[in-house]
Amino acid sequence: MSRRRTAALPTPVALLFLLPAAVLFGVFVLYPMATALTYSLFSWRGTAQEAFVGLDNFVALFTTEPYRTELPRAFGHNALLFGGAMVAQNSVGLLLAVLLHQRERFRRLFQVLFTMPYLVSPLVVGYLWSLLLSPLFGPVNALLRAVGLDAVAQPWLGDPDTALWVVVLVTAWQWVGFPLLVYGAALGALDPSTQEAAMLDGAGAAQRFWHVTLPLLTPVIGTVSVLTFIFSMEAFPIPYALGGSSGSPAGATDVMSLLFYRTAFRSGASNAIGVSSAVAIVLFLVIVGVSVAFTRWFRGVERRLT
Amino acid sequence: MSRRITRATASAALVALTLGACAPSADSPEPGAAAGEGCDGDAVTLDVWSWRTEDVKTYERIFDVFEEANPCITVSFQAHLNTEYDQILRTGLTGSDGPDVAQVRSYGLLQPLVEGGNLQPLDDVVPELAEFDDAALDGARGREDGSVYGVPLATQTIQVWYNTAIFEENGLSEPETWDDFLALNDTLLEAGVTPLAVGARDGWFVPTVHDALTAARYGGADFQQALRDGETDFTDPAYVASIQTLKDLQEYMPDDVTGVAYTDAQVLFTSGQAAMFPGGSYEQAFFQEANPDLELGVFQVPPPPGSAVDHPVTPGYADGNWGLSAATQHPDEARTLLSWLASPEFGQLVADELKQFSPVPGVEYADPLQQEMWDLYQESPAPYLLLVDYRYGDPTGTDLMGQAGQKLFLGDTDAAGAADIVQDGLSAWWTPGE
Repeated sequence: MSRRRTAALPTPVALLFLLPAAVLFGVFVLYPMATALTYSLFSWRGTAQEAFVGLDNFVALFTTEPYRTELPRAFGHNALLFGGAMVAQNSVGLLLAVLLHQRERFRRLFQVLFTMPYLVSPLVVGYLWSLLLSPLFGPVNALLRAVGLDAVAQPWLGDPDTALWVVVLVTAWQWVGFPLLVYGAALGALDPSTQEAAMLDGAGAAQRFWHVTLPLLTPVIGTVSVLTFIFSMEAFPIPYALGGSSGSPAGATDVMSLLFYRTAFRSGASNAIGVSSAVAIVLFLVIVGVSVAFTRWFRGVERRLT
Repeated sequence: MSRRITRATASAALVALTLGACAPSADSPEPGAAAGEGCDGDAVTLDVWSWRTEDVKTYERIFDVFEEANPCITVSFQAHLNTEYDQILRTGLTGSDGPDVAQVRSYGLLQPLVEGGNLQPLDDVVPELAEFDDAALDGARGREDGSVYGVPLATQTIQVWYNTAIFEENGLSEPETWDDFLALNDTLLEAGVTPLAVGARDGWFVPTVHDALTAARYGGADFQQALRDGETDFTDPAYVASIQTLKDLQEYMPDDVTGVAYTDAQVLFTSGQAAMFPGGSYEQAFFQEANPDLELGVFQVPPPPGSAVDHPVTPGYADGNWGLSAATQHPDEARTLLSWLASPEFGQLVADELKQFSPVPGVEYADPLQQEMWDLYQESPAPYLLLVDYRYGDPTGTDLMGQAGQKLFLGDTDAAGAADIVQDGLSAWWTPGE
């Protein structure tokens, strides 16, 4: 069954070809990550590194204001972004992928259309939507009023109760093409005979989806979920474009990356580099920890299903 | 074997190529026309960095004047994107390819460079600084040693802009008293014009609006001094009353003001849908560009009843400095340049070419509106309080007022609660009197 030697090239040559990418990865990813870790273990005076302080910066992060309140709040917002993305982005993406899979004509066209916003810079998407949602000049409220839905027209980005959900929806609007493409490809790769067998056994469309298609998609759903989690935790451009660096209104759209940005570059605090590096490390640990735990758990689920 | 070596060399070259593409290209200094000519010593090129990408051409013209007078010095002016500048500058000043002279931020955001030892103190280096106003130099001081680390570049003032055509149509004139101010707001509201173009969705704009409209209520510079002396804090009744005044004026602002962006407010004003815009002197260029037919006037808001001072004030703040890199290889030439940047000749060029207020004493403004704003500021200056003294820690005073003001406008807190938000937030790093 297992054929370990799949390499087309002898190992030394393969390593040689891997070298450029490995060097780039080392210089631009591993090295900055290692520096961020060391930065967070020192105290700083402006740009000058001072004494080794161990975990003091992390302790400060969890015990002193403003971080003690802002960190959990920002983290909670990231979690809501993830939850929102699972519903508004991935479920919708799966639905669209299934619908498109059932039709031959225009499938490519719709795939391209749904994926298009993906190609635009998220900052641009954010600013675009902030214009569309402006309570003064925005077409969204104008449209709602024009069709008599005055009660629904809101200061979408000005109300703490709606602002975060606007971030979720705008993010979903931009990224829905991602689950759409991945699920679409996975659906195309499924063996049609399983569907036929289910049909012969008399299963309806809904039954086939719930009991045949969905279980077969589980590995892909797991991958998409983990990636969505990582994107949601790292969200920066869209929240920044919609709520500015302080997460307007009144911190309702504040997320971890904004907290990092404010701490690192917008504060006049002497130890800004130390504390902001600690924020970055905490964010990194959360992402790695949850992603690994989730992947492990999901593998177990997969094994039980297959 | 030899094939292997060839392969290795090829991949090494590939790596070098890829990395080379990522490294910043060495900025080859372009000797200006004046450089070299008439220079009887060693010709030196000074690297000068700035965040004003939009002013590159103007600055090159300005530095031509300097190069003509100093034939041995060539200025290589490089601008970096404003939003990335602070990061680039921090790296530049700590590394070897940095600038000799650089634009640096004022007040709190200057401190990381001062504390990191990246800038040289200028008190003894640039004697012209003695002529500068203290308020301008405050923006260039190191928090801990009180030394001056930059030649002040520009000053911004905060006042109320108004559309003179709308005022004329409604038979209005600049208000002399608080009652006048309220009456003209009411008249405009009845006429279907938004009186005050304000957007509170951008947190940073809220403290600007607050100081533009109510700095006299809490007392401007006197209150700043009382805070510095530890006699009071932000829960002071006068400060709470100033926030209440801001809340009272909300009826003259657009509906759902926390959903209105700063840029929306600009458009409201330049398109003639709103009559007044409380904001900075830096708006002028944009206003005139967005609507060349717009007739602009400025006034200071009269003090509300119960104000701590009996006259209107204009808040202002220092906006940027020229700093001297601690790592410069050409300290003498850099000092010559900095002395020139502190001279009336350069100050006048800032006024005429860059259309900014220069803190160099004695500069005149050709634009009457600019001259008027400057005169108002000279007559009764006040600090843009939260920016000037309260950006030396995390969270910053302006961010706190942004959040507090948004909650105030949303009705989630009252004036006292908003003042508490500012005071509690600042107490993380600030104690009155320190």
